[in-house]
Amino acid sequence: MRSGNFKQDYRQLLSLTDSVPVIVWSILLVLAFALAPLLLSKYYVSLLLLLMITAVGVLGLNLLTGSTGLISLGHSGFLAVGAYAAGIVVNKLGWPMPLCILAGGVCAALAGLVVGVPSLRLKGLYLAITTMAFAVIINHLILNGGSLTGGSEGLSVPQPTLFGVTLAAERGYYFVVLAVLVLAVFVALNLLRSRVGRAFMAIREHDIAARAMGVDLMRWKLLAFMVSAFYTGVAGGLLAYYTRYLNVDSFSLLVSIEALSMLIVGGLGSVAGALLGTAFIFGLNEGLGLFFGALGSGMLSTAAFEIKGIVYGLAIVLFLRFEPDGLIGRWRDIKHYWTHWPFRF
Amino acid sequence: MDYFIQLLVSGIAVGLVYGFIGMGFAMIYRATGVVNFAQGELMMLVTYVAFTLAGTFKLGFWPLLLATVVVSVLVGLIVEVLLIRPMLGQPVFSTVMVTIGLAVIIRSVVVLIWGADPMPLNTGLPTAPIRIGPAGVYPAQLYALGIMAAVVAGLWSFFRWSRVGIAMRATANLQTTALLMGINVKRIFALSWALSAGLAAIAGVLVGVIYDINPGMWMTGLRSFPAVILGGLDSVFGAALGGILIGVVENMSEGYIGRGMKEIAGFVLILVVLMVRPYGLFGKAEIERV
Repeated sequence: MRSGNFKQDYRQLLSLTDSVPVIVWSILLVLAFALAPLLLSKYYVSLLLLLMITAVGVLGLNLLTGSTGLISLGHSGFLAVGAYAAGIVVNKLGWPMPLCILAGGVCAALAGLVVGVPSLRLKGLYLAITTMAFAVIINHLILNGGSLTGGSEGLSVPQPTLFGVTLAAERGYYFVVLAVLVLAVFVALNLLRSRVGRAFMAIREHDIAARAMGVDLMRWKLLAFMVSAFYTGVAGGLLAYYTRYLNVDSFSLLVSIEALSMLIVGGLGSVAGALLGTAFIFGLNEGLGLFFGALGSGMLSTAAFEIKGIVYGLAIVLFLRFEPDGLIGRWRDIKHYWTHWPFRF
Repeated sequence: MDYFIQLLVSGIAVGLVYGFIGMGFAMIYRATGVVNFAQGELMMLVTYVAFTLAGTFKLGFWPLLLATVVVSVLVGLIVEVLLIRPMLGQPVFSTVMVTIGLAVIIRSVVVLIWGADPMPLNTGLPTAPIRIGPAGVYPAQLYALGIMAAVVAGLWSFFRWSRVGIAMRATANLQTTALLMGINVKRIFALSWALSAGLAAIAGVLVGVIYDINPGMWMTGLRSFPAVILGGLDSVFGAALGGILIGVVENMSEGYIGRGMKEIAGFVLILVVLMVRPYGLFGKAEIERV
């Protein structure tokens, strides 16, 4: 009897997955998401839509912070760049929607290139604070962008259209976002199992050692920043069409922190973890909302927002304290336990 | 010229607050290698406590400052023991994220207890500005300058001569060797958090007296990051100087370049400085070996 799942050549080691159940369940999950708009109420479809957009951005942050080990507190900046780039392109140039979203990604990637340059010289917390500086500066530029960005009045974005058909947020646009998310997951998984991903992980473990092994730090660190910013920029573009009104207040530093906490809850460095973490935080928020809604309009509901904040902070602290590998780590443990039962290892 | 002096003086006054918060950042970073992202929130929390103390016991400025520092030191110790100490051995990033989580919690707790309206912190200090040449300063701002001088002198002698201070420097220098020399590194960590919280209390009371207290106060903590980065994360006195420099630069750029520059001038400045000196002006360059 085989005592475990052993890989016997490199092709097996590098393949996306060798497990039939994983493929089946993944397809079922995508199908479930695709069928959701037919079954759920408008509110929940809208929530799922926002969840998927967030997941794209969190995947981007995961590539940088989780896989390459470069801590970024500036992803709210990339999100803002992506959203505003998409909004400006559609308003001033009138490009079709896919191109506008792509433009958001490309602009954010260019910004990522600029922010990536300091990462060649800065490490750890110095880098984190530099990326935070970037986000603050971007917010300032948007606020003072005059008629281009609408300043403090914000920028409105038209309804998304595809090939001349206007898409309603909960119907047509939902499927656009779903397609983007599936593509994003697929690209991220493939990136991480290739040469690029291995270079990223080598940099995460020890960048000087990686350099000694022939990993070109400048090239890969900048690439990590660009890819990560591209993802987040695309999320920004999608968000622009979702909210249809952009205001600088919705891109505060809190957004970066929220994304980081989703990563930590899910498990750093894992694509599935990023998705799980996003879903968990969304679920937590929604669950608390329902809970306080059920309590009625008493004393507690006025404090609901603050209590949500406390629970949210506690979730970060407790996960770091008791489950540093995140939900995905717990999942691996459970899987390990059942495949090896009755043995402990 | 008058305009210049006015900007300079008010810049220094703002910078002193950044300096106090920045010193708090540096104090913790030096010993433990962690940046406490909750420093601004800690400051806000103890300022609200100070507000309650001032309201209940009708304390004057100096007793209030002292009481707040004591409370804050206790809060710092509690945070260290409950949240930070269990994270020993985890990656620095995890500990930093714990402080971010703490920051989120404190922000909510403060609004929950004290409400969201801005309130004045009344300590009976005269509020009429004193004229020094062309510039006017509030008495509290002069106090801030005096306290800063006293704190810097006190800390300098503490690090230079006292046994504990030397132990703290040794720990900052090399933890393993410090352990071998019989220094209780855990206790040094706790002390660093306590001292840092004490500095946050001073900053908070000053902000409360000069401006007012509101749930947006924690932003001052964010704005103090450039100060400590400019000085170098592990340099306590660098942070004090960095704070004053950032305050002046912010005010000057607001005055001469344009409105809103105040918000970003500090961040732009550190981007430039870090490109030239990646460890700030006075920070220690870390030599890494594989």
